[in-house]
Amino acid sequence: MEPRTAIPFEPGPLTPPRAERASAVISTRGLTKRYGALTALRGLDLEVQPGEIFGFLGLNGAGKTTAIRLLLDFIRPSAGQAHIFGYDCWSQSLEVRARVGYLPGELGLYLDLTGLETLDFLAGLGRQAVDRRRRQELCDRLELAQSDLRRRLREYSTGMKRKLGIIQAFQTNPPLLILDEPTEGLDPIMQGSFYDLLAEVKRAGATVFMSSHVLSEVERVCDRIALLRKGELVLLATVQESRRLAPRNVRVVFSREVELPEPLPAGYELLEATPRLWRLSVAGSLGPLLEVLQGLPVLDLDVQEARLEDVVLRYYREEET
Amino acid sequence: MRIGFLLWRLSLKRVWPLLAATGLLLAGFQLLRVLIAASVHNAGEFAQIAELLPPFVRALLGPALTSVMSFSGIVCGGYFDLGIVIALVVLNIALATVPASEIETGFADLILARPLRRHWLITRTIALVWFATVVMLLMIQAGTWTGLALFAPSDAAAPSGRQMVALALNLGMLALCWSGVALAFGAAFRRGVAGGTTSLLAFAALLIDYAQQLWPPLERLGWVSPFRYFRPFELVMGNPLPVEHLLILWAVAMTGYIVAYLVISQRDIAR
Repeated sequence: MEPRTAIPFEPGPLTPPRAERASAVISTRGLTKRYGALTALRGLDLEVQPGEIFGFLGLNGAGKTTAIRLLLDFIRPSAGQAHIFGYDCWSQSLEVRARVGYLPGELGLYLDLTGLETLDFLAGLGRQAVDRRRRQELCDRLELAQSDLRRRLREYSTGMKRKLGIIQAFQTNPPLLILDEPTEGLDPIMQGSFYDLLAEVKRAGATVFMSSHVLSEVERVCDRIALLRKGELVLLATVQESRRLAPRNVRVVFSREVELPEPLPAGYELLEATPRLWRLSVAGSLGPLLEVLQGLPVLDLDVQEARLEDVVLRYYREEET
Repeated sequence: MRIGFLLWRLSLKRVWPLLAATGLLLAGFQLLRVLIAASVHNAGEFAQIAELLPPFVRALLGPALTSVMSFSGIVCGGYFDLGIVIALVVLNIALATVPASEIETGFADLILARPLRRHWLITRTIALVWFATVVMLLMIQAGTWTGLALFAPSDAAAPSGRQMVALALNLGMLALCWSGVALAFGAAFRRGVAGGTTSLLAFAALLIDYAQQLWPPLERLGWVSPFRYFRPFELVMGNPLPVEHLLILWAVAMTGYIVAYLVISQRDIAR
């Protein structure tokens, strides 16, 4: 493997001035896209703050890609507004796109070009010169060797194409990265490298807006999430807040046999009860449980934090029903 | 301009093998034509070949029959041979539908995620189509001149330079006219639809043109076919190239280009 040279991420000259950075990086108001009778996105109100990693979730067809394509001026809205770094996404879309690194969900590449030709061509279309050392560092981190870059893309595996997609999005050090399903097709080790890369650009002040199906990934890297359902925003919260929306599992072990309290506090559900063990589902505060346990011979108390998956899957199931 | 050049260069890089192969074929075909024309001339068999032509071909050629059935006429045939006309039109349609292909494959997403205006997809394509057409015509010219230099009998009257330039201009403008139609369709629809529709239209227009020449009642309909404004036999007879014919073909191409610009600026870029 080629040696890794750690080149710290440095925001490029297109990083907005401090005053500009103080306001939301992405801001949408009532953003709507209709295709005839079908509403793909309905009244999206969203603000993504500088330096955050924002997860955009939803089932297939929920409107995630539609929203991303609206932000990049690939498609035009039926109603509403969208701004990136304060620039209107349609009337000032060139300014917007000069500051964005974009990774599409499905990469459309010319298979007769080499990886290097593709990267050079795409770099040439931007306003900002690409730092070769930065590109090399990205290639090293994602284990895309120079010999790979000299090969034609028709010889690339799905994962290699994805890596190339990530490199082309990151290579200009844009202040905003819009990533559509970034780890689709990457192996777990490369996913780890990608998460490290995200953490690095976040530390350097870049903002990341990413859609993903992988809830564990979102939970791991995102600060806030938005959940779309049938084109509508149904959840907008930090990952921590989201977790609190799901009931926690509590397991209480007693040193001797105890009686069950009647009735249980509101929001509590008994999942399993033996004379020496209770398993409860607790929605809300744990305070009432501590009151119930007062005076009882508690040997062990285990509170399992809800996973983001529990919350999101609940929304997904609601959508299905 | 830099962005337009980059796009154009990438497209050219991808299509040059096709252009090189087509150009060499056209030049080689023209060499062969000159060789055949020289052979027929030396044998003095033009009249006999003319006798062998089917009646409808004789009707199509009309008074140009004598001019076409000569050394000069056969050499000039490289500019109006049906196979060559179709090859150039198909090449133009294929190149003009490149934006449709880029949108369809998603490559346009990667391009348009950069700070460049959508019109570059069209402007680049127009530049590519014109470049390819000029190169093809130059290859035909090169084949002709090389053939004449190598094989032309000393007593045969070779076509004049003016005649060949006029034929090339007329043929080139005809091909470019179809690039306009294909580009307009390609800006709105998928490549298969755009290419297929334009090809069908071209085929229908060709049939209309033949039909109106053979069957006088259809003459009133003839003006709709761009092939009506491609009159190589008259040029072979030594008549000048009507400027209005060039202008009409140019206007069709320009209309197609303008429609393409309008459509691409308004449409959703989606697969």
